[in-house]
Amino acid sequence: MSLLPSIVPGLGLVKGMALTLRRFFAPKATVRYPEMPADVATKFRGRLQLLYDEHGLLKCETCFQCAQACPIECIDMGGLDTKGRFHVHWGPPETYGERREESALRRSGRSVPDPAYEHFAPFDLGTVDQILDVHDHDPKRLLQMLEATQAAFGFLPVAALKRISERTGTWYAMVYGTASYYGNFRFEPPGANAQAAEVSRRRPSDDTYLAALGASLGGRRQ
Amino acid sequence: MTAILPTPKAWPSILLARRGAADPADLDAAVAAGAFEGLRRAIRELGPAGTIDEVEASGLRGRGGAGHRAAAKWRAAASTPARARYVVANGYGADPGSGTDRTLLETDPYAVVEGVAVVAFAIGAEEAFISVRSTATEAVRRLQFAVDEATSRNFIGDDALGSGRRIEIEVRPVQGAYMLGEETVLLKALDGKRGQPEQRPPHPATRGFHNAPTVIQNVQTLATVPWILRNGAKAFAAVGAADVPGTILVDVRGAAKSGVAEVPFGTSLREVIGLGGAPRAPRKVKAVVVGGPTGGILPAGALDTPYTFEALRAAGAHVGSGSVIVADDRACVVDLARLLTRYAADEACGKTIPCRIGLRRVAEIGERLTTGTSRGGDLDLLTDLCADIVGSGLCDHERLATLPMLSSLRSFRDEVDAHYLRGECPAGVCRPIALGVAAGRARRAPAAAAAAAPARAQA
Ligand SMILES: Cc1cc2nc3c(=O)[nH]c(=O)nc-3n(C[C@H](O)[C@H](O)[C@H](O)COP(=O)(O)O)c2cc1C
Ligand code: SF4
Ligand code: FES
Repeated sequence: MSLLPSIVPGLGLVKGMALTLRRFFAPKATVRYPEMPADVATKFRGRLQLLYDEHGLLKCETCFQCAQACPIECIDMGGLDTKGRFHVHWGPPETYGERREESALRRSGRSVPDPAYEHFAPFDLGTVDQILDVHDHDPKRLLQMLEATQAAFGFLPVAALKRISERTGTWYAMVYGTASYYGNFRFEPPGANAQAAEVSRRRPSDDTYLAALGASLGGRRQ
Repeated sequence: MTAILPTPKAWPSILLARRGAADPADLDAAVAAGAFEGLRRAIRELGPAGTIDEVEASGLRGRGGAGHRAAAKWRAAASTPARARYVVANGYGADPGSGTDRTLLETDPYAVVEGVAVVAFAIGAEEAFISVRSTATEAVRRLQFAVDEATSRNFIGDDALGSGRRIEIEVRPVQGAYMLGEETVLLKALDGKRGQPEQRPPHPATRGFHNAPTVIQNVQTLATVPWILRNGAKAFAAVGAADVPGTILVDVRGAAKSGVAEVPFGTSLREVIGLGGAPRAPRKVKAVVVGGPTGGILPAGALDTPYTFEALRAAGAHVGSGSVIVADDRACVVDLARLLTRYAADEACGKTIPCRIGLRRVAEIGERLTTGTSRGGDLDLLTDLCADIVGSGLCDHERLATLPMLSSLRSFRDEVDAHYLRGECPAGVCRPIALGVAAGRARRAPAAAAAAAPARAQA
């Protein structure tokens, strides 16, 4: 330890200025964004943030495309899907309107009682396993498995979808995304809750289209 | 079952030749009527390359909407090196308002089975699928029966007609979305995936089901193939229009009656809608919706358009699902266009921005027109937006879904303008219109609206 720095007056200043000068001539890290595009790695996708439209509504439609595309399944969601169908899944309660005990628990480690929350009913996995066996656990036969599941339960329980995902090695987002695409699948028992009934009433169907077409041709609006 | 409309005696009957058969699924009766003779000729006489040549010479084009040359697809699939090849018959019949494919499958399931077998033989495929709408239960039943019968009698199966070739046909009922009719979507459904289209090229003919060359053909196209092989390419080329030989099934929703009819290509729209009867006086034909939910709305002045792929496209419509709907003067064209666009937007798959958001915005412009809440510049926005959707769409659905609005803009400008500029519906269908306009005006310029209100009250 030398005493020199403390006894030569102004040396600290020189050292400081030297750093300043070096930085002065070094390449700049700041860019004149947005005039100049920032140089980011091609794989960079930015922070995930759900945006709101001009009416203040969430733009996310719960279409599950991002969850399906994410290779490490870090994206997960729930709410209303593109077809306007309600499906409870897990997701940040503040973004998906639906406050769910399970979600809160997962996020905060504390259980937050939610009066609207209903536990999943006890569920018979044997039936699903049988269906999986019949179809050889083959993800290519996913639609047939889903149809058989719906025929057995009357709808597609989340637990069954989870089981299919687990046993076929298909991502849950893929199973759910596929199931929610096809209009013939239901995620709630028929007439289970008012919201589900309302949504399926509003869901576009061939029958409502044909009825509206007939009305429009006859000079009426529907 | 959709009714089959009677057609003039002079019109050829290729697809519905077996209508009226006691039991369409009776194999002996079908064989007596010539079923599987085409396949026999392909196997014994022509060979795979010869079969493709024969179909090419006939000029057969796809009946599923786009009208691609069938032989070109087969040749592409046959010449792509691959370990396996597939044939898929598209009998889904996406348009709920059109019963053409279902009628064919119910009337002559063996023609479709034979057509599939011929293609499989020609391109060297061992496995083939016939997809049908699950809800068309009678078609599914007859088709399954036909496949089982033909297999048990060795027309198809492990050693099809003693050719030493395996041709296995599986009937696959699918359901749940309009988009399943689109070929790449159908392949996804057969593979147990979410039904969203894929970019083409690569076309399925070179890279389709399980990444193998796959020929996807509408069931009508396939049912025509045995006739061509039985009667020769020349005889087929003589039927219909010069550039589109043959016949097609059209679902006519006419002024008096509705049903499916077999129509030679090149028949004028006037004759086609004539099959559904004339409107009862004083009603007049106002418009014809040609092509299903994404069809064009053509004015009465366009009734001389021949029913061919190119002529209909030039007129602003398309063959599409084969549906032709007559609207008389009770209907409001703008309301019809709004309804079709809304259906098309609701059924869009959501994969790409023109499909997910573009169509929705087009539908909203239509809804604003019919509720009298149009904003200034809406029609310019509509044409721009449609041009962008056509330019950037991934699949044909969103491109075609612009047709209802664009064709009404083109042929019914007065009626659109009445909605847009004056908030009136000449047909008296769109009711809330005047109210909406007054509200809109008040919102935009409260003072002017207040000044105008007493003036209108006096008038
Ligand atoms: C939205 C959409 C729906 C379609 N629906 C059908 C359909 O229901 N049946 C059909 O045969 N083709 C349908 N097509 C056309 C198919 O993509 C494909 O072109 C056709 O099955 C090919 O057969 P083809 O060459 O014999 O016409 C549809 C296309 C689009 C874009
Ligand atoms: S679910 Fe669909 S709409 Fe929502 S963020 Fe993901 S991709 Fe976007
Ligand atoms: S309908 Fe979605 S890409 Fe065509």
